[in-house]
Amino acid sequence: MKTKKSIYLFMIPGGLLFLVFFAVPTIYGLSLSFTNWDGLSNGFKWVGFSNYVNLFTNDTTFHQAVGNTLKFVVSVVIIQSFFSLVFALILLRNTKVNVFLRTLYFFPTILASVSVAFIWTFIYDPNIGILNAVLKIVGLGHLAHAWIGDPTMVIYSLAMAEIWAHTGQLLIIYLAGLQQIPVEMNEVARIEGASRWQIFWKVTWPLLTPATTIVVAYTTIQSFRAFDLVYAMTNGGPGSSSEILATYIYHQAFQYNHVGYASAVAMIFMVVIAIITMLQFGILRFRKSA
Amino acid sequence: MKKSKIALGVFLVGALTAAVGCGSGTSGSGGNGTGANGGGSSTNSSTKQTITFLHWRGEDVPTFNKIISEFEQKNPNITVQMQVIPSDQYIAQAQANLTGSHGADVFTSFPGAEFTAIAKAGLYTDLSGQAFIQDYNSNLLGSGQQDGKQLAVPYQVVFNMPVYNQDLFSKLGLQPPTDWNGFLQLCQKLKANGDTPIVFAGKVSAGQFFNDMVMNNVPDPKVFTGLLDGSSKLTDSGFLKTFQQLSELAKKGYFQNGPLGTSQDAATAIFAQGKSGMLALGSYQITPVNKDNNSAFKMGLMAPITTDSPDQAKYVGIDTTTFMLGVNAKSQHKAAAEKFIDFLSQPDIAAEYANGTSQMVTVKNVNYTDPALKAMEPELTKALRFQPMYTLTNQQVVDAVTNTVEDVISGTDPTAAAEKGQKAIDQALSQK
Repeated sequence: MKTKKSIYLFMIPGGLLFLVFFAVPTIYGLSLSFTNWDGLSNGFKWVGFSNYVNLFTNDTTFHQAVGNTLKFVVSVVIIQSFFSLVFALILLRNTKVNVFLRTLYFFPTILASVSVAFIWTFIYDPNIGILNAVLKIVGLGHLAHAWIGDPTMVIYSLAMAEIWAHTGQLLIIYLAGLQQIPVEMNEVARIEGASRWQIFWKVTWPLLTPATTIVVAYTTIQSFRAFDLVYAMTNGGPGSSSEILATYIYHQAFQYNHVGYASAVAMIFMVVIAIITMLQFGILRFRKSA
Repeated sequence: MKKSKIALGVFLVGALTAAVGCGSGTSGSGGNGTGANGGGSSTNSSTKQTITFLHWRGEDVPTFNKIISEFEQKNPNITVQMQVIPSDQYIAQAQANLTGSHGADVFTSFPGAEFTAIAKAGLYTDLSGQAFIQDYNSNLLGSGQQDGKQLAVPYQVVFNMPVYNQDLFSKLGLQPPTDWNGFLQLCQKLKANGDTPIVFAGKVSAGQFFNDMVMNNVPDPKVFTGLLDGSSKLTDSGFLKTFQQLSELAKKGYFQNGPLGTSQDAATAIFAQGKSGMLALGSYQITPVNKDNNSAFKMGLMAPITTDSPDQAKYVGIDTTTFMLGVNAKSQHKAAAEKFIDFLSQPDIAAEYANGTSQMVTVKNVNYTDPALKAMEPELTKALRFQPMYTLTNQQVVDAVTNTVEDVISGTDPTAAAEKGQKAIDQALSQK
């Protein structure tokens, strides 16, 4: 009984922090989503579910933002997870070159998003940018593009910048996962005559499940929440071709003064993230137990 | 298992809070802790007071520092603290600042949607009775007025017309054209000479250049503002003609490669290299271009005339009165704040500001000594139209129009783009 009481006592500080910084803003945001508050005035009207109805039935930009967000997230999760695993496998051995390369790949992670945005805006510039210049030098001038000025290309161009900025972080997670796999297991497999591919597929990959779970879940949530890079590089444009849910919430709340409406988008956003994350955890847990 | 569920729950709520934060943060975030030093509502001149002055022009800071020090010398009991928020973040951050308990005392705002939002929230002090209003050109004060009250005083005059390379024009024997055919011929001659006719700067030019293109195609301001109440549509003939003309310019290759992916800085740099005819921004780019090319060539201002003949053109260019000075209705130091605006309104101080920052001002009897300003002064006497985009008081409608321009430039059929834009406007209006 005494132990139980002390457990509750120790939970108070954490519980209070949870209440103040998580629960209260969430409930406040939910209640705002049923209003037409403009973010400036003292008063607002209770509008019931009309923000939600409007979003689903009338708001084509919201629909486009959902599509763009999914394109962005899927591109980032697949490419970023793949490359971080490949780099981790290549850089697993502790040679001097590998240590240098790990640092090099990790470097973008420490940069502020605004700096990343600045660098990539310059890289992508159709007239003075490095990317088009390099493509022309290597004889691939026909691939030169207005990378963030082309509505069909912009969301993938932004995804590339996001991938560049965060692959180093995931590389570290995979490296940690790989280093936990006992060397003997690979040795035994090799003695048994398994090829490199078979060793990876039958030994390494299953044992990397915990790392993959973290990488995929982290990347998914991180890319869903991507805002600063998109805001700084395109602000949702050209047109609304790179409008994602996070920038749409920002535009509705701070540029159009529709804070109630933006809160409704944020609520839907939260539900989408929650469902996808739970699905991911479910699938990955199933894979672990299989 | 249970633990992982709890951890997942906490993680999810974290993600939720980050998303919801946008919605909930504005209500109480207001003061950023750097506002006026609060304490007491006294406006007694013998009491030491600190007022905050919030604006977006980082490049004006050295000039303002000088002016503020002169003001403080004349008003030893008032200290002015300047806060600068970059223009691309200004609307969101300034509005949050003003709703707080220690928001800025004197603040600037953009005309149009931002001014209307702040006015609607009752955050402006009515300046109608202030003596300093007489220091301004009365015909340049309209953008700060609402319901017969002068809620803010626009301090700057900007010409939102393409800047053109006068030396290149002279070299090729070109003159600013007076009708649409002439404009197309001009662009063709520049292109044939290997120059880029018009340098376009992505999102910024989409709004700025559209103003010039639409000024004579939709000359009646009521048709333009009719977009706000549904009495006119983006698919109406004047707007459609404008989109078709923009599409023609894009299809004929009169913009540089990748116009929508070009930043403002890159566009300025390209123009400053001297291999292009026009920069589709405004007078505010003359100084940066001069800085980039060491004043290597002369520049003028020239809006494209979109009518079939010169006599059909009602306007020859666009102007905007902006950088609107207002006093926070919640300020505890209103008298000191008004004193500061009064000081800025004096012709000699306004001249100091104008010549120090290369910005034309709305104050009367200002002596411009800066050569770029001197050259621009005659523009004020021409038939100019107040920037149509600033007459749209709903930012969502502004964005819908701008997005339509971008869609057209990126190759969408003008009619389809206009229909899409109108749909976005209808949606915006339904959100009232």
